[in-house]
Amino acid sequence: MAHSDDIFLLVRERIDTEEVVAQLKAPEDGAVVVFDGFVRNNFKGQRTLYLEYESYETMAYAKIREMGAEIHQKFPIHRVGIVHRLGRLEIGETSVVIVITSAHRAAAFDACRYAIDTLKRVVPIWKKEYFAGGAVWAEGEESWQEAISRPKESIS
Amino acid sequence: MRIRVLFFGQLKEITGLAQEEAELSDGAKVDDLFERYGRRFPKLAEFRGSIATSVNQEYADWRQPLETGDEVAFLPPVSGG
Repeated sequence: MAHSDDIFLLVRERIDTEEVVAQLKAPEDGAVVVFDGFVRNNFKGQRTLYLEYESYETMAYAKIREMGAEIHQKFPIHRVGIVHRLGRLEIGETSVVIVITSAHRAAAFDACRYAIDTLKRVVPIWKKEYFAGGAVWAEGEESWQEAISRPKESIS
Repeated sequence: MRIRVLFFGQLKEITGLAQEEAELSDGAKVDDLFERYGRRFPKLAEFRGSIATSVNQEYADWRQPLETGDEVAFLPPVSGG
């Protein structure tokens, strides 16, 4: 079931984490858990200059919405916000924000962890890392093959 | 039948193609489509074991039969977040 006050967005401009949180928080919540993923300055000791993210946007939106519906089924939470940035990102800039609001902390923590882990396995977004000596596509999660070879029902 | 084919990430760089229309005979499966591109771009064929495929924005099996108008994408391991 989709919840009309959830937020699912792919954006090319800077993500304002506080604004996403403010849009999702409501008086009946008692907890909000925020995951803010941002660009690290190194990869395995090599200094990163910047990143570029690309996406299969129509499918990414479909998968993020499926994730949102699944999170509502699995956890007693109130609202979900998932915002991922695309294009070029500089060191320290936020690439993804996940916000979960709920009445109590445990469900919000669990749902937030589930959301970022699932996003990294399932949502078609790719990261290219630029270094002084060149660029490489990130290798992705090890569980990728497992995630995608499972039937649709178990990942959506 | 006519299929729209999309490549992403490293696969887009290998083929030099973001998207293309392909003409396939009836009964063709996702794998048949990939084999065709693998012949055209031998480097692409090396990725067969590590990539995923989707049909109409849903993860699909390599044996899935295609229908005209389908949108097929070849997807390297995702690395968002």
